[in-house]
Amino acid sequence: MRQIGWNWLGVLPFFAFALLFLVLPTMNIVIGAFQNPQGEFTLANLAGLASPRIVSSFAISIKISLASALLGCLIGFAMAAAVVMGGVPGWIKGPLMTFSGVASNFAGVPLAFAFIATLGRVGLVTMLLRQWFGINIYAMGFNLLSFWGLTLTYLFFQIPLMILIITPALEGLKREWREAAEVLGASTFQYWRMVALPILFPSLLGTFALLFANSFGAVATAYALTGSSLSIVPIMLFAQIRGDVLQDPHLGYAMAFGMIVVTGLANLAYVVMRARAERWMQ
Amino acid sequence: MRRVWSWAALIVGGLYFLLPLIGTIEFSLRMRRGEYSLDAYRSVLSDPNFRATFSYSVAMAALTILLGVLIVVPTAYWVRLRLPRLRPVIEFITLLPLVIPAIVVVFGYIRLYNTSSILPLTGTASGTNLLLLCGYATLALPYMYRAVDTGLSTLDVRSLTEAAQSLGAGWARIIVRLILPNVLGAVMSGAFLSFAIVIGEFTMAALLNRPAFGPYMQLLGANRAYEPAALAVIAFAVTWGCMGVMQLISRLFGTRMQAK
Amino acid sequence: MTFLTLDHLQKSFGPTRVVHDFDLGVEKGEFVSFLGPSGCGKTTVLRMVAGFETPTAGRVVIDGRDVTRLRPNQRQIGMVFQSYALFPNLTVAENVGFGLRTAGVPRAERAGRVAEMLALIGLPDLGGRYPWQLSGGQQQRVALARALAPRPRVLLLDEPLSALDAKIRVSLRNQIREIQQQLAITTIFVTHDQEEALSISDRIVVMHKGIADQTGTPAQIYNQPATDFVAGFVGTLNRFEAEVLDPARGLVRVEGAEIALDRPLPAGRITLAARPESLRIAAEGIPAEITGVEFLGSVQRLRARAAGREVVLDRFNEPGVALPQPGAQVRLAAAQAGWLVLPG
Repeated sequence: MRQIGWNWLGVLPFFAFALLFLVLPTMNIVIGAFQNPQGEFTLANLAGLASPRIVSSFAISIKISLASALLGCLIGFAMAAAVVMGGVPGWIKGPLMTFSGVASNFAGVPLAFAFIATLGRVGLVTMLLRQWFGINIYAMGFNLLSFWGLTLTYLFFQIPLMILIITPALEGLKREWREAAEVLGASTFQYWRMVALPILFPSLLGTFALLFANSFGAVATAYALTGSSLSIVPIMLFAQIRGDVLQDPHLGYAMAFGMIVVTGLANLAYVVMRARAERWMQ
Repeated sequence: MRRVWSWAALIVGGLYFLLPLIGTIEFSLRMRRGEYSLDAYRSVLSDPNFRATFSYSVAMAALTILLGVLIVVPTAYWVRLRLPRLRPVIEFITLLPLVIPAIVVVFGYIRLYNTSSILPLTGTASGTNLLLLCGYATLALPYMYRAVDTGLSTLDVRSLTEAAQSLGAGWARIIVRLILPNVLGAVMSGAFLSFAIVIGEFTMAALLNRPAFGPYMQLLGANRAYEPAALAVIAFAVTWGCMGVMQLISRLFGTRMQAK
Repeated sequence: MTFLTLDHLQKSFGPTRVVHDFDLGVEKGEFVSFLGPSGCGKTTVLRMVAGFETPTAGRVVIDGRDVTRLRPNQRQIGMVFQSYALFPNLTVAENVGFGLRTAGVPRAERAGRVAEMLALIGLPDLGGRYPWQLSGGQQQRVALARALAPRPRVLLLDEPLSALDAKIRVSLRNQIREIQQQLAITTIFVTHDQEEALSISDRIVVMHKGIADQTGTPAQIYNQPATDFVAGFVGTLNRFEAEVLDPARGLVRVEGAEIALDRPLPAGRITLAARPESLRIAAEGIPAEITGVEFLGSVQRLRARAAGREVVLDRFNEPGVALPQPGAQVRLAAAQAGWLVLPG
């Protein structure tokens, strides 16, 4: 018995830290979401999320996250597939993976600056398109501080994350599966439809969920890019924490709780899908 | 045919990643009208606020790494040695910061540790600094833990410990003199990743009102035209530097471990 | 007219030539093994038949039709891989039905054929399982059923038993042979295990450095090895340096003992060889000293030193006959037909 006590003492600092600076603060918000100012239990805060302003912020956030996750998956998959099975020289893989490791961590304020300098009103690409091809993208309705602008910016860390996760999965496709399918009469298309894509499906879906959560929780990039002109969830929450713009602190907790639910579900999907993919790959 | 598509994907993707980098560098050199100059960099580097916030963030990053090592290394070691059944729980907790957005965590801090609470950390500057430090350590936890745990998995922790104990070493000595040097490569790679994350972190610092580099960049971005681009180039160079060093270390230590 | 003809096949990867001029005709329903050490080119030949490799020169002809330029999915071939290569996302039944699905066989007909194949391999109730729920031996049987389901014209087996435990290996190899004979399907079996090849083949091709050293029945390969390599690779062989006394009558001398072979020989020195089971202890013969005795149940294995070399001698167990003791001085002899004269 004393032995068990001793053993637990070794992990006490960790649990104390996690409790104080991770679990309790989060629980506090979650509980606050279900309390009224008098501290009584209520569902009114969650009901309050149905206000048009909050619903539309969740809608645009989810839309941006879906778009950047989907495009990130497609482009990242194409690039990873090109390197793994596309017949390009082998030395490309190393630099691509290194670059992906860096770029997937290059979110935040500097990323916003980089895109303003590139696709802003006087950015390099904007100017070059106008000077060389006479295309004025801003006159055509493009705006960096918009849905597409934000999506395009998020892709800078979404695509590399996809490459980092999906490359090992693609390398896990055994050559024999392809050969077995071929010798059984399958065309390349049939092989992909009946074997490769179903095998990759859990990895793809899981990574999609992870990318979704990744962009849903991104604050700094969006804030530095748009200020508060685009009311996506994290930015609205940011403003709420700073200045109680919703004029109801508990509605703020409910909003934060909503964020946890969305990212939590997405991450849960990722974990479940990864477990499934691993079972197949063994 | 397949090769053509592959090259197309790589070239389009490569352009997407290269253009913003080129654009930023080009933009940062455009401050003086009609010619390229380093004026933006000069302006940034001579700004006392830049120096103050950048050194503040560097110090915070260093402390974050220290705190992270203090929490993660003994825990990961102890769990491997004595409480292997607890590993899934610990792993789950260390992954939570990837699930719970930082903005929610810091929201909780503000509510839990405000001036009218039992632990009024936000009441004083040093208390808030401590809170931010703990927040950063939380953010770094997933990367730190995974790096160290992977490092430990290459060692036979139990035999090493028993050998040291039979020679009369105490716990502190075992961890500092035996375990730490053996997972140094892993700790370093986790450390540099943490550094890259903390140095430009915005959300927590801004909401806790600390004079860190992230909020400074944001503020500058809202008020100036060319300096932000110069800052982005500097930040990108720092991130690249960190990741580059990290890769170098893991490769160096990786080969050394194999050579053993 | 052979059913499967490999006509002067050659294959080079860059400057390295892995298959030199490989020539073979396989009869319909015949079971032919490619036997050789790793890197001998046997798998490359098999992959050229399957269509995964294009020959540098030569032709592959199946049933009178040149398939050299056809893609693997147009050749109607069944193949079983060493690593099973079952599709992990499909059930056993779906795996077995895969080739029928790509061929556009209607669902109902497919189900019937799948059930028939699962019964054939003795796993009628496992159709709903996934590959990861099966043992290695079961997975390989499913892989066999999958290869056979679309009624291929040729079955290719690429070291199908190498990843399995010794016990399952023997039972599965017998099952493979049984099914092959039942369906009378033309089969090529690649292996590096001589016992496997000897036990189930109609004919064996022993390969060495990209060349077919010898093609023949298991008995021919074992009893009349055509090259030194075949003699050494297949089975155990005891070698003796011999001096030819009379080339015309085939009289030789080994360590002072004269042996009459009764066949024409070249003059000078030759290498004489005998299988362990051909050697016996006799009153006259090559002097030897027993160095070790192993009792293996039905067989006694004696180790001896003769003419400066280790030799091995197998004989059946006979209750009542005492085993020789290590250190005993004996003489070794063999029947005339038991002596092999190695070329070169």
